[in-house]
Amino acid sequence: MGYLQAIITGIPMTLLVTVAGFTLGAIGGIPLALARRSRFAVLRIVARTVIEFLRGIPPIVWIFLIYFGIGTGAITISPLGAAIAAFGVISCAYMAEIYRGGLSAIPAGQWEASAALGMGHRDQLSKVVGPQVLRVSIPASATYAIGLLKDSSIAYTVGVQEILFNADMQAKQASDAIVPFLYAALVYVIITIPCAWAARSLDSGLRRKVAR
Amino acid sequence: MTLPATRQSVAIELDSVVKRYGDHTVLDNVSLSVREGEVVAIIGPSGAGKSTLLRCINLLERPDSGRITVAGHAVDAGSEISNKELVAHRRVAGMVFQSFNLFPHLDVLRNISLAQERVLGRSRKDADKRSKELLDRVGLADKAAQYPSRCSGGQQQRIAIARALALEPKVMLFDEPTSALDPELGLEVLAVMRELADEGMTMVVVTHEMQFARDVSDHLVVMVDGAVLEEGPPEEIFSKPGHERTRRFLRAVLER
Repeated sequence: MGYLQAIITGIPMTLLVTVAGFTLGAIGGIPLALARRSRFAVLRIVARTVIEFLRGIPPIVWIFLIYFGIGTGAITISPLGAAIAAFGVISCAYMAEIYRGGLSAIPAGQWEASAALGMGHRDQLSKVVGPQVLRVSIPASATYAIGLLKDSSIAYTVGVQEILFNADMQAKQASDAIVPFLYAALVYVIITIPCAWAARSLDSGLRRKVAR
Repeated sequence: MTLPATRQSVAIELDSVVKRYGDHTVLDNVSLSVREGEVVAIIGPSGAGKSTLLRCINLLERPDSGRITVAGHAVDAGSEISNKELVAHRRVAGMVFQSFNLFPHLDVLRNISLAQERVLGRSRKDADKRSKELLDRVGLADKAAQYPSRCSGGQQQRIAIARALALEPKVMLFDEPTSALDPELGLEVLAVMRELADEGMTMVVVTHEMQFARDVSDHLVVMVDGAVLEEGPPEEIFSKPGHERTRRFLRAVLER
């Protein structure tokens, strides 16, 4: 049972990296998604390039780039900071693509009706289309967030004391190294199942209320 | 040029409006004049450009050439239109769509209040008060807290009418308002429109409801292939259409 207790102490760090990274992405993805659909071709190309660039580099490389890149210079960054920043920038790209899909799912009639009512572009986005995009984005965002929770284990490579870090510490001292990792696997599953369940019930609840 | 006296009573004036999509000319030099308080019905086969014409009136579609005047506010096709002008233009022209286009994420009351707050700058309290009056007027006072998805098509369209009326438009544009509805549900929408017409609202209605066109409209416009084929008092056109094409169309819709 000692293993499990040690591994559990890593849960807050795992959640912190996941939630902070996801939050940065959920916010940063908005301007990126809008730029992706901008009237101006230059902005569209820039946004697209940025997204491909952010997504094309593996998370572990991002963490190393940020941790060793920034951390060795004049500015220092903590392992936790580097992990959150890395998952934050990656999430921006993924969330932008999720929002973009959501935007294209909104019927043209919603834009037209709000335009016909004299609403400006900003009001159309913030009051009519945006809230609907967020709602249709819930399932894809939840799938992404659960993936992120598992990916956050990579943060252990720079020394963030999350679930895998603690499991690895235990494994190094254990007679049978597999056991702590099995516990780690169990803990990840126990966290992800309620997350998936909560996302599903949120989605179906909203669907019942506002079904088209 | 129109005389000042008549000009005052003209609510909508379309002057040589042309709209093209690529090589395809959807509106070919259409001119139309709607007097204040007049109800104009536009009929014709699909693809005739009826909806496009209506959408040009409130600039959901930008014409390629011509001039559009709504309640004294003129817009030339070629000229730059500022956002402010666009908003001013659309405020005076309420629009009702075939597919209702209510906002699914807002309850019925918020659907009607939103633009009042954002466009007219009304307080939430004032907007909601006005929305309730309008809901009452279309006979749906009890639906205020419902979401649109819980309302029938006919109810949704009546809510959409209330939503457009909330901005106190000078003219109302209806784009096949009953085409997506069961015949019975269409009747309740037509009843609301009839009341509006009786109250003196200027209306342009693109419709396949011949009974409505005949009974309620003051002026009937027949469009074919992007142009006005003929126009005049509905009774006249229904009883002795001036063109063979009109006769064929009327026979097709009336004898089904």
